[in-house]
Amino acid sequence: MIKKKIKIINKLGLHARASSKLTELANKFKCEIKIKKGNEEADAKNMMDILMLSASFESKVDVTFSGIDEKKAAEEIEKLFLNFFGEGE
Amino acid sequence: MSNFNLHGLSVSNGIAIGKAYLLSDALVEVEHYSISKKDITKELKRLKLAINQVNKDLNKIKKDFFKINHAEFEGLINTHLMMLKDRSFNDDVLKIIKTKKCNAEWAVKVQLDKIITRFDQINDSYIKERKLDVIQVAERITKALLGRSNHLYVKQLDNNSILIGHDISPADALIFKHNHYEGFITEIGGTNSHTAILARSLNIPSIVSIPLARALIKNDDVVIVDGDSGTAIINPTDQILNEYESKKNLWNLEQKKLSKIKNFKNKTLDGNRIFLMANIEELQDLKTVKENKADGIGLFRTEFLFMNRIKLPDENEQFENYRSIVQSMRGKEIIIRTLDSGADKMTVADTKKSSNPALGLRAIRLCLSEPRIFLTQLRAILRASAFGKVKILIPMISSIDELKQTKLLIERAKQSLTKEKIRYDKKIEVGGMVEVPAVAINANFFAKELDFLSIGTNDLIQYTLAIDRTDDSVSHLYNSIHPSVLKLMAETIKAGKKYNKQVAVCGEMAGDPKLTRLLLGMGVENFSMHPSSILHVKKQILSTNISKLKGLINKIMNTNEPEVIETLILKINQKSNE
Repeated sequence: MIKKKIKIINKLGLHARASSKLTELANKFKCEIKIKKGNEEADAKNMMDILMLSASFESKVDVTFSGIDEKKAAEEIEKLFLNFFGEGE
Repeated sequence: MSNFNLHGLSVSNGIAIGKAYLLSDALVEVEHYSISKKDITKELKRLKLAINQVNKDLNKIKKDFFKINHAEFEGLINTHLMMLKDRSFNDDVLKIIKTKKCNAEWAVKVQLDKIITRFDQINDSYIKERKLDVIQVAERITKALLGRSNHLYVKQLDNNSILIGHDISPADALIFKHNHYEGFITEIGGTNSHTAILARSLNIPSIVSIPLARALIKNDDVVIVDGDSGTAIINPTDQILNEYESKKNLWNLEQKKLSKIKNFKNKTLDGNRIFLMANIEELQDLKTVKENKADGIGLFRTEFLFMNRIKLPDENEQFENYRSIVQSMRGKEIIIRTLDSGADKMTVADTKKSSNPALGLRAIRLCLSEPRIFLTQLRAILRASAFGKVKILIPMISSIDELKQTKLLIERAKQSLTKEKIRYDKKIEVGGMVEVPAVAINANFFAKELDFLSIGTNDLIQYTLAIDRTDDSVSHLYNSIHPSVLKLMAETIKAGKKYNKQVAVCGEMAGDPKLTRLLLGMGVENFSMHPSSILHVKKQILSTNISKLKGLINKIMNTNEPEVIETLILKINQKSNE
C-alpha cells in the first residue's frame, strides 16, 4: 500500500471538472484508491463521493493506493494534483 | 374513510369524479409501482439501456458543441457524463431496484433524493450547486426511461383517475396529455399560469393552489373535482356523490346541446361575420379543432416541438411537422408563431436561466440572439407555406428595431430558399403579437409595419399590471378587465382599423364567453382560443347584436373603476338581443 499526503493547489479545489478528471484517471487503474479528508473518506473512482468531500483550495488530503498497479497509479494521480488538474491554476 | 373538502383556484370548468392518483415530487413526475421478482432482470436492463441512451445523447451534444468551440459547456457535459457513469447512478440504483422491487424510474428518484440530502449538508456553495447537475442527470435518465417505454411508465391510468401533483410543468403536461384522466389538482399555480391554460386546453376540470394536497389526499381516495367552484371533495358521502353525478350529467347534456350550433355560420344577429380560430400546440390538437369547426388556426405555438428533448429539431423535422398541420387544415388559414421560448416554457433552446425570466431573453429576443435557430425555423415555416395558407406571427416584439431585424432574417431565409429553388409563399404575411405595452401604446407604428396584429392578452395583462402570472401571491391582482388593459386593447384595435390591418385577440380573454360581447363591442372580429372554448364563444356571438352594445361599451371605456366595469359587463351579457 502506498500513502501520499497531497495539498490541493488549484483555486477551485476538487470541484466538478477536477473531480471528473480524477475519477476518470483513477478508473484506469486496477488498485483501490481512497482519498481521505479529516474523518471523511471517498472512493477516488466515484465522482459523487469525491465531490461530497468538498476539498477546497489549500486543504490537505491523504491518498492511499493498494493493489497491483499501485505504484503507477500513485505517480500519475499525484501528477494530476500537481498539474492543477490540467487547468493552469 | 373521512369526508372533507379542500378549496383552491378553479382553472377549468366542469365536474370530474374519480380516484386519486398521486404524482411524485421529482422534476419529471414519476410514479411508483412494484415489480415481481421475475421482472427484476427486465427492469435492470431497462435502466442500463436508458443510461446507455443518455450516454449516447450526451456524447452527441458534446460533439455538436465541440464544433462551435464551447469549452465551458463541454466541461459541463463531461461532468454529466462522469456522473452518469458513477456508481451512484449505476450500482446503487440497480441495488434499489433489486431490494425494493420497484420500477427503475422510482429507483432513480429514490437515489436522487438521497444524493440531494447529502449535497444539502455541504457548506461549500460551489459544490452545493453541483446538485443541479445531479438533478439534470437523473432527469435525463428518467426521461430516457420514459421515452423508451411510455406505456410501462404510467401504469396505464384508470379511465377515472384524478391526478394529484405538486405542479405540472408544461413539458410534463404534454406527456400526460396522451393519457386519459378525469381531472387534476395541484398544490401550486395561479389561474393564469401556463399549466392552468393547458388544463383548459385539455378541457378537464382542474383545481390549482391546494397546498399539501398530496399529504391530505391518499391514493385511491374518491375525489370530486368541482371545477366551477374550485372545490375538491374527498371521500364524499353517497348523497353528495349522487348529487354530483347528476350535476355532471347535466353539464354533459349542456355540452351536447352546444354541439348543435357547430355548423351555424359565425355571424352576429346584425350580420357581422366573426372568425373563430383555434390555438394549438401539436398535430394531435387538430382533432378538437375539427370537431368544433374552427375557421382556422389563429395561433400555433411551435415551442412545444422544442420541449422534452435535448437536441433542437432540425429544419426537416420542423418542416414535416408544420406541413402535416398545414395540409390537414385543407386551405384554411394557419398562423404559425415562431419559437416563444423562455419564462414558464423552457425548451431545449434556452441555455441560460434568467433571474427574471418573464423580462429576460425569451421569444423573439432569444431568436434574434440565436439567428441560426431562428433561420432554421423560418425556413421550415416558409417551406410549409407552399402547402396552404400560412402566416408568420412574431412573439414578444417590443420595438420597431427588433421588427426590422426580424424582417431582415425572414428575407434572408426567403433568399436562401429561392436560391435553392425550393417553393414557398412569396407573399407570406408577417404579423406581430401585441403583448408588450410598448407596442400597444404606439400601435400605429406597428400596424403600419406589420400585415396583422394579434393581442396576446395573458402577457399584455402581466406586463401592464406588473403581475407575475406564475406567482400565486399576486394572482388576485391579475385582472383582465382592468381599465388600462382595455384601453391598450382599444388603441390597438383602432390602429388596426386605421391601417386596414386585421387585429385578432388570442389570449385567454378570447376564449372566455363572459367577455365575448365586450370584445365584440370593442370591434374585435377575430378570436383565437382553445378549440374547446369555440362553441361557448360561438353561442354568445350568435345571440349578440353589436350595434346595440355601443352605449354600454362607451360607458366601460370611460370608467376607471374595475368594479363598475364588472357590473357593466354583467349588464352587457344580460342585455336582450332584439
